[in-house]
Amino acid sequence: MRALLAAARALWAFLRLWSGDADYDVYRARVDGPALSREEFWLESLKRRYDRVSRCC
Amino acid sequence: MKALFRNLTWMAVGLLGAAGLAAIALERGEPVNAMWFVVAAAGTFAVAYRFYSAFLAARVLGLDDTRATPAERLDDGKDFVPTNKWVAVGHHFAAIAGPGPLVGPTLAAQFGYLPGTLWLIVGAVLGGCVQDFVILFFSMRRDGKSLGQMAREEVGRRGGMIALLAVLAIMVVLLAVVALVVVNALFDSPWGTFTLAMTIPIAMLMGLYLRLWRPGRVLEATAIGLALTLFAVVAGQWVAAAPEWARYFTLSKPTLALAIIAYGFAASALPVWLLLAPRDYLSAFIKVGAILALAGGILVVRPDIHMPALTRFVDGSGPIFAGGIFPFCFITIACGAVSGFHALISSGTTPKLLMRESHARMVGYGSMLMESFVGVMAMVAACALQPGVYFAINSPAGLVGDTAEAATAAISAWGFPVEAATMEALARQVGEHTLLNRTGGAPSLAVGMAQIFSTTIGGHRLLSIWYHFAIMFEALFILTVLDAGTRVGRFMVQELLGHAWKPLGRSGWYPGILLSSGLIVAAWGYFLYQGVLDPLGGINSLWPLFGIANQLLASVALVVATTILIKMGHRRTLWVTLLPTLWLVTVTLTGAWQKITSPNPRIGFLAQARALEGQLAAGAVAAGKVEATTRLVFNNRLDAGVTALFVGLILVLILEAVVEWLRVLSGRKAPELRESPHVPTRWAVVP
Repeated sequence: MRALLAAARALWAFLRLWSGDADYDVYRARVDGPALSREEFWLESLKRRYDRVSRCC
Repeated sequence: MKALFRNLTWMAVGLLGAAGLAAIALERGEPVNAMWFVVAAAGTFAVAYRFYSAFLAARVLGLDDTRATPAERLDDGKDFVPTNKWVAVGHHFAAIAGPGPLVGPTLAAQFGYLPGTLWLIVGAVLGGCVQDFVILFFSMRRDGKSLGQMAREEVGRRGGMIALLAVLAIMVVLLAVVALVVVNALFDSPWGTFTLAMTIPIAMLMGLYLRLWRPGRVLEATAIGLALTLFAVVAGQWVAAAPEWARYFTLSKPTLALAIIAYGFAASALPVWLLLAPRDYLSAFIKVGAILALAGGILVVRPDIHMPALTRFVDGSGPIFAGGIFPFCFITIACGAVSGFHALISSGTTPKLLMRESHARMVGYGSMLMESFVGVMAMVAACALQPGVYFAINSPAGLVGDTAEAATAAISAWGFPVEAATMEALARQVGEHTLLNRTGGAPSLAVGMAQIFSTTIGGHRLLSIWYHFAIMFEALFILTVLDAGTRVGRFMVQELLGHAWKPLGRSGWYPGILLSSGLIVAAWGYFLYQGVLDPLGGINSLWPLFGIANQLLASVALVVATTILIKMGHRRTLWVTLLPTLWLVTVTLTGAWQKITSPNPRIGFLAQARALEGQLAAGAVAAGKVEATTRLVFNNRLDAGVTALFVGLILVLILEAVVEWLRVLSGRKAPELRESPHVPTRWAVVP
């Protein structure tokens, strides 16, 4: 049961990281000074991602 | 003892892969089971990853985990983010796996299952994976520089501009051809059109949720979007059954093409958070889910393959696209075997995420193996159909006629028996008026997937739901490629226009946005519309053009990689990139030569233009079709010109690279690598 819970937690963590859901938390953990708000960070991350080739054929 | 056991295990895996390859290559006279495809691919890929990628990592590239990656040195929590290896694999795989590995193998199935399957497996192991891996590694060693920047710095000044122009030209053809696949899948299909149309307001709702209510909560928004999209698949059935609603969603090919062109413009000009990004989230989840479901379905159902190993169309007379196995099989299947577009991803976001240099092996080589596996599964799904059904769905009306009787008679005469009643019954079962003349691969793949899914869950009652789920899945992520590609194309146009007048180059200036969006959409929209009006289905001319362009881009990437390897002092291991380069250059130049100069009007653009001109001159064209035929003559000449442009651009780059190689190899020029300096990692190194 414990192993199952651990696996579920790992899967959830993977999904959050893979989908970008956890991007802001990762960012906050890395920035010492004044940080962007969640909304500002999200809008900026979209701009960075979609201003270049992000999806292949 | 441990080493002996390990060696014996790998020997067994290798033998299993070889047995799979032998089974699909040598079996004759009775249907081959799909499991042999899985065994052949999985066995070969496991051995290739274990040994060949290890050889590349250790002996050719020299991955060094004591060296800090850009993600560690430049960590800003935004662009450069040290990322768990498996998350990086997930990101990279989701970025490289688009509709190509599904559509290409489905189209190439017209040659039979064997040529395409072997090319998928061998091409990926020796070409595609190598390209992705080495470009990822070289970009990582250069702080995540793009392919264009590396071409400019390592090959020559013109390299960067050529790469930019080549990518822009390829983008135009790519967007046109994938949009054509959607048009051919959805015309006269109210259920499919409704479902896809509903994904637009659903994506916008997700966008508003993420922007206004819960910024950045991607999983919550995606869960809502997924539930609504699945509901839209089911609701499409009710819409199709209600004539007063169905008529709004029953669209002809030209109308559908214009709707997609308008959508592309809107997606490019609207804020990215409103439509593009939420659609991408939705598409990524459905893509991974559907691919896993297909893999699971094939393992559970283990369907027999009904397509022969080789069909009569190996002679080049194929109904979907004309041209022999060499070079057209290797051009038709680009994504899944070797795709130049991957080099843009491998030198884009991914190199900025890797925590360790050694992760490049799994992310670069491993992800491409997974994509190739997707291609093999698509081949299985297409070849599990009865060949007559496959050809009835994919053959254009201009070749077999547009009635069930005419089409089935023509296809049966080719040696693939199929009855009109069978096609009508199948169309009814999947909830469509007709499945005929849907050239492009998506509907035949959807029928194959639906048959596999419905055998697992729901039986024939759910065939129509599964078919429309598969169509929605294919169309959804084709549209994701379309809107993301249009937006990137817009930036490239703005970059070029900015050289002429600076304000046009500013990405935030709205008149510039509208003009550049209009130009890029007009460019691919023109090719799309010409494909829609083409009596041979459009795929016959556009897909090979796309394949040639994509493989030429792969040649560029491999030429850049070879140049860097020469500068690194490699001589004896140069073949790892040189052999795939030579193969791709030979294939693409042969393909381009045939598409331009072949005297067969179904292959050669100029021959078709001449043939149509002859018909016009002889008065053999009906008065109502003179204008369309005159346009076809122009379009064929344009296609020939575009093909020549691709070849010209790439030949200039290759020539420049070869001059650089000779200078370095003869000692006339000191090799000058543009790698970032070695900085030791601060993290513990696991030996």
